[in-house]
Amino acid sequence: MNIMTVIKCKLLLCMSTLLLSTSSLAGVSVIVNSGNGAAIGESDIPRIFLGKVKSFSTGDKITIINLKYKQATRNEFEKKVLKKSASQVKAYWSKLMFSGKGKPPKELASDKDIIAFVAANSGAIAYVAEGSVNDSVKVIKTF
Amino acid sequence: MKNIHKALVLTSAIITGNVQAEVTFNGFASIVGGVTTSSSEQLYGYNDSFDFSEGSLVALQASSDLGEGLSVTAQILARGADDWDTGFEWAYIAYDASDNLRILAGRQRVPFYMFSDFLDVSYAYPWITPPQGVYSVAFDTFDGLGAIYSSSVGSFDTSLHVIYGGNTSEFDIGDETVKPDFNDLAGVAITLTRDWLTLRAGYVQTEMNIDVQASKPLIQGWQGAGFPDVAADIEVSKDTGSFLELGFQIDYENILVIGEYTELNLDGTTLPNQDSFYVLAGYRFDNILAHVTYGVDDDSRGRITAGVPVVAPLLPLLIPTNGLTDSQSNEASYITLGLRWDFHDSAALKFEYTSYSDDLNSVNDAGLFRTALVTVF
Repeated sequence: MNIMTVIKCKLLLCMSTLLLSTSSLAGVSVIVNSGNGAAIGESDIPRIFLGKVKSFSTGDKITIINLKYKQATRNEFEKKVLKKSASQVKAYWSKLMFSGKGKPPKELASDKDIIAFVAANSGAIAYVAEGSVNDSVKVIKTF
Repeated sequence: MKNIHKALVLTSAIITGNVQAEVTFNGFASIVGGVTTSSSEQLYGYNDSFDFSEGSLVALQASSDLGEGLSVTAQILARGADDWDTGFEWAYIAYDASDNLRILAGRQRVPFYMFSDFLDVSYAYPWITPPQGVYSVAFDTFDGLGAIYSSSVGSFDTSLHVIYGGNTSEFDIGDETVKPDFNDLAGVAITLTRDWLTLRAGYVQTEMNIDVQASKPLIQGWQGAGFPDVAADIEVSKDTGSFLELGFQIDYENILVIGEYTELNLDGTTLPNQDSFYVLAGYRFDNILAHVTYGVDDDSRGRITAGVPVVAPLLPLLIPTNGLTDSQSNEASYITLGLRWDFHDSAALKFEYTSYSDDLNSVNDAGLFRTALVTVF
């Protein structure tokens, strides 16, 4: 590898970092099934995603869906909405999981999988990048 | 081992009995190394040769949803300090009676302390282990029934945890391993959480029956001398032990403050009453948490021979009995400086230095350095 290639590589790295950090500035949309008529206030959202509220105002059981770890949208959601770092969230669910008080949400690999799951399950709630949303689900709030 | 085998077979029978049920495996581990700072010092099981087994542990949890709110969970834990022998820390069937009420039947944790529920999950708290001075009751689990009621009261999330059961797990008193019988073990813990503030109070009591061979000669001696009350005070039989805990936690932006105060009352025995507290203050710098903990332990057992005349024939009983109760006194304080570095999504590296001072006997003063790799999986 000559010096120029190294510099080019570094430039590329810089650019991709820039790109990544711009994409992480995009919004995160909280979505539910389009048939879900429950009243969900902004303050309910973190409580739902931390498993503290288990049913919607309509009485339907809540199924939380999480995005797999190490994706920008998840980091952003945890920081903006749950106000916790990734390891704090992990520690939170560990406490519940190893003490018989609850279990962490199901994780799916991509926004596409998540939207398909929410569209097919009436009690599902999840978050995706704002740009991924389509008509098959209902957005209740974008952070 | 036989019991563990039986329980395993039973658990798998329950789990496989339901064909649809899928079994989820999770676990956690701590690999802890520790060494005291000088050759004469000993603290929390460590001495001046670097040791990797004392605080290390690995646990595996299997759980399965059986549907209709019913689930079964078993957690098997092996400790380096016990030659990696495995034991069941948790083995229970849980039933979600409603969104708010969960009932657990089987082996579970006694809700003594703020971190009781996940006592061994080092990933879930700042230190390598919670402060030993406060976390000092001789047992952590019980077999019986527990109910957890969670709800919101105003802007507080509340949790009410009640338990009833017993424990017969062996533990050590001095050099002797005893098989206790703690029955009518009953407890309640209340936790209130609002944003960055958590408040907790817990109370547990139990009837204690512990056969201590080492105290038999004294018990028989006092009975023979016509002092059955003194004998009864030495004997741990149908005595009530009680435990009170008050705790708080502030987790505000990058600032973390945790405090716990505990009172263990073992009146009617020659074991000490213990009053302890600690306060932790910490600050998060991105993925590093720096913390300092100050704690104090005050143990004492008053003499039980007040009604005995000091006459020559009784001295062979009086001297060892007073010696026994006097030896239970302990006044100690400690400062722990710690770092936790979350270097990986499911693992953290921890470093701690503890300076321990014994206010009654400075020979027991010690400095202890520990480091740990902790993980959940």
